[in-house]
Amino acid sequence: MLQRFLDPAVLHGISSLDLVAKTVVDGFVSGLHRSPEFGFSLEFAEYRAYTPGDDLRHVDWNLFARTERCYLKRYRGETNTQLTVLLDASNSMKYASGAVTKMDYARYMAASLFYLSIHNQHDPAGLIVFDDEVRNYVRPSTRVGQLPRLLAGLEQAEPAARTDFGKPMKHFQQFLRRRGIVLVISDFYEEPETIVKTIEPLRFHGNEVVLFHVLDAKEIFPDLRGPAVLVDLETEQRLEVIPDYVKHQYRAKMDRHLAEMREKTQAAGMGYQLLTTDKPLDKALTEYLTLRQASGAAGRSTHRGGV
Amino acid sequence: MGFLAPWFLAGMAAVGLPVFVHLLRRQTTVPRPVSSLMFFERGTQSSVRHRRLRYLLLFALRALLVLLLALAFARPFLRRKTVLASDKLLVVVVDDSFSMNAPTGAGAGTKLDEAKREALAVLGGRSGTQKAQVMALGGQMEVLTQPVEDAGELRAAVAGIEPGDGHGTFGELGRGMRAMAETVHTPMEVHLFSDMQQMNMPGNFADMVMPGNVALVLHPVGTAATPNWTVESVEAPGQLVDPKKARVIAVVAGHDTPAATRTVSVVVNGVVTATKKVDVPANGRATVAFDSLDVPFGESKCAVKIDAADGFPNDDASEFAVKRADPERVLFVHQGSDGRSPLYFGAALAAAAQASFVLQPIAPEQASDIDPTKYAFVVLSDVPSVPSILEHTLEKNVEDGGSVLVAAGTAMSHREHIPVYGGDVADGHYYTSGSAADAGFTTVGDVDAAHPAMKDAEGWEGAKFFYAAAVDPGSARVVARLADGTPLLIDKQMGEGHVLVFASGFDDLSNDLPLQPAFVAFVDQTARYLSGEERVGGARVVDSFVQLRNPANETAGAGSASNHATVDVIGPDGKRPLSLKEAAAAESFQLSHAGFYQIHFANGRDALIAVNPDRRESDLEPIPDDVLKLWSGSGNANGVVPAESDAAAEERENVSGIWWWFMLVLTIVAVAESIVATGYLGTQREEA
Repeated sequence: MLQRFLDPAVLHGISSLDLVAKTVVDGFVSGLHRSPEFGFSLEFAEYRAYTPGDDLRHVDWNLFARTERCYLKRYRGETNTQLTVLLDASNSMKYASGAVTKMDYARYMAASLFYLSIHNQHDPAGLIVFDDEVRNYVRPSTRVGQLPRLLAGLEQAEPAARTDFGKPMKHFQQFLRRRGIVLVISDFYEEPETIVKTIEPLRFHGNEVVLFHVLDAKEIFPDLRGPAVLVDLETEQRLEVIPDYVKHQYRAKMDRHLAEMREKTQAAGMGYQLLTTDKPLDKALTEYLTLRQASGAAGRSTHRGGV
Repeated sequence: MGFLAPWFLAGMAAVGLPVFVHLLRRQTTVPRPVSSLMFFERGTQSSVRHRRLRYLLLFALRALLVLLLALAFARPFLRRKTVLASDKLLVVVVDDSFSMNAPTGAGAGTKLDEAKREALAVLGGRSGTQKAQVMALGGQMEVLTQPVEDAGELRAAVAGIEPGDGHGTFGELGRGMRAMAETVHTPMEVHLFSDMQQMNMPGNFADMVMPGNVALVLHPVGTAATPNWTVESVEAPGQLVDPKKARVIAVVAGHDTPAATRTVSVVVNGVVTATKKVDVPANGRATVAFDSLDVPFGESKCAVKIDAADGFPNDDASEFAVKRADPERVLFVHQGSDGRSPLYFGAALAAAAQASFVLQPIAPEQASDIDPTKYAFVVLSDVPSVPSILEHTLEKNVEDGGSVLVAAGTAMSHREHIPVYGGDVADGHYYTSGSAADAGFTTVGDVDAAHPAMKDAEGWEGAKFFYAAAVDPGSARVVARLADGTPLLIDKQMGEGHVLVFASGFDDLSNDLPLQPAFVAFVDQTARYLSGEERVGGARVVDSFVQLRNPANETAGAGSASNHATVDVIGPDGKRPLSLKEAAAAESFQLSHAGFYQIHFANGRDALIAVNPDRRESDLEPIPDDVLKLWSGSGNANGVVPAESDAAAEERENVSGIWWWFMLVLTIVAVAESIVATGYLGTQREEA
């Protein structure tokens, strides 16, 4: 039932970003066929035979009563993964062929991720809004009121200016000192090599970096029936183009761009997801959870309780 | 094409609006925002050109819309500026009257052959798209084709014209053309191929004048003066009893001929029975009489021939049919006390009718079992009472074609109705009673000379009538009236037969007519009429009609046997011209060819009828040239259209507005423009 609320067109009708996030996450989680109370709190791992010196608090006395054998219960240790979302708020994100702009879609996605991270996973989450400068920064935290702060940051993130990854990148470095998951949401209208070069340093701190490439479907498959004058949303530059060019050369260039983005980001050890604004948001959430799980597995330590 | 409101054409300047919008105005488009122009390249020039081409259809429709609107308001109309040759209807009229059988004298066949050759030449000279119509002018106008362009059909129609025996009249041509002009409004060019006989002219020249849109072109054929002798008329009995008492009187006429002696022969059934020579004066007539006609019993085909040796041998003989039979009996019913009536009537009958009838007087009481069909006719002479059996028999006989002559004399003065006749009768007038004129008698006031019984009605004025019955004529034909208007002789058709009522007696008491010479002629003609001999015998003229059955009897639906009896006509060529359906219903038949017709009438009678061409056709003198020029309507011989001004006037009237056609096309264009524009608008929206 809640699955349909993963559709961006439906979410567009919901004004509150908080509600959007809640709707998306609840719908997504219910779609996983798991308890909505899913969590990573203390989790049973295995039984181990008691050896002298072990803490008696961890003996499973119920089992002992039934079997007269002494076993210890072992639990998986709980880790917290910091989530930082880098949101591109340049003018190009205003583009929309339908009701939902790329910026809207990015907001929904970011809000959903924040909600999932803070509300469900109790992970600290932060936000950096940038265009050619860092416009807003919300420090990652799990404190009470963090989620509203993040959502307010998303609400205030209105597209302006043009994208420039190079300039704000040095600021990213100072903000991201603790390792975690870094999600970059942008339309990436830049040379793939430049993008990778600019973002790659984030990985050096041990961050898992994933690029969410948000595009409108009409940007990939433009439908131009006649000659038209096109205006660049960022530079205001005008250009007359003909359908024949768009139908052939543009498509080829765009395909090559997307392929290069995928190849170069993967080669740099970064994740890459192409998202179109007409697709549901679950893809992004799944990606996050997968990354978190992988991140958790990497830093997992099976330890005795209280150790 | 013209315009009734040409100033509205100024509205065509509005076509500049779509021209400006589509071609002159700089193409502006709503810019489409895109995220980045990173992957786009410029394509300006081809873009504009493509756009212009794309909207070319819309531009054309809009420009057409403006033009049509301006044209429609200018109220365009069409008129025929000039009458093209192909618009004229070519009417070819070939004279196929009897005189066209005469040779041309040049050894090139008859005049008809030459006329047909010239007609074919005229048809061959027309343009392929000009419609033409072929007619034949004989005794009447005969339309051989409809107005067609097919040259083969026209040539076949001309080639199929056969020599006729009728008498043509140019009055008929004038009437036909005037009737055509009422339905065919295009100009017509009538080509007449004829020998232009003067005798073909009608009595009134106005009858042959062509209507305004007809141009008459005359093609005289063989108009050279040709001397021609002919047997103009033959007077011979249709029925005779004694060949030695029969007289045949023939008139030989010469047209444009010198004085000459001609040999006249009587031919009976192909055998010359008598020959005489007669001197015919120059361009005059001569009468020759034969005192006997030696014919066998039965019907005989006879003719009077001359050795004309002229240029037109077809009219050198005049045919007639004669029937030789024993004298027919006439039943004369009279009172025993009345001895005068059979005396006078019988004497008159014996003196006249070439002794073809024998009177058989009889008293009424003896006539009960008489079969009237054995008698030529029955006379009821002043009989106050007729046996009912006889009356019924007579009525039936009359219904089947028999005839009765009733004399209503003083003896019938107290009867309320006349036997067989059936009409009411009031008390008669006794002019001797002193209530009339001082002379004590009355005379005949009015005579219908067209009635067969009154054909030679001379001397009736001298007859004195002292008594006349007051017979109600009803719907019957009053043949003669007395001076005071009292019907004297009434002819009533009953079934196939006739009842003739004489409102006085045949004795010399109620009138003195039996003492007059006119009485013999009256009895003679009446006997012929009532016996039926007058109706069928003798010779006829081509194109005359013969009555096959009584039309009144048909419409009345009388139950007589003849009502449904078929007639049988055998033409001169031995063929039956009537179909079975026509033979069962035709009331009359036109004798369209010369020769002998064998006819079996509906009332059972048979007759052999000789038909001769109209002798006016024998006068080959052509119409003078000045009259022909006058007829063709011009002072020159080319036969130019006489009423060009009329035709031109008709052209001016032939104006038809076509603005509504423009409005119709405009509506269609407006719909098309809406569809095309809507399509483009939808595309622009998608692009935006």
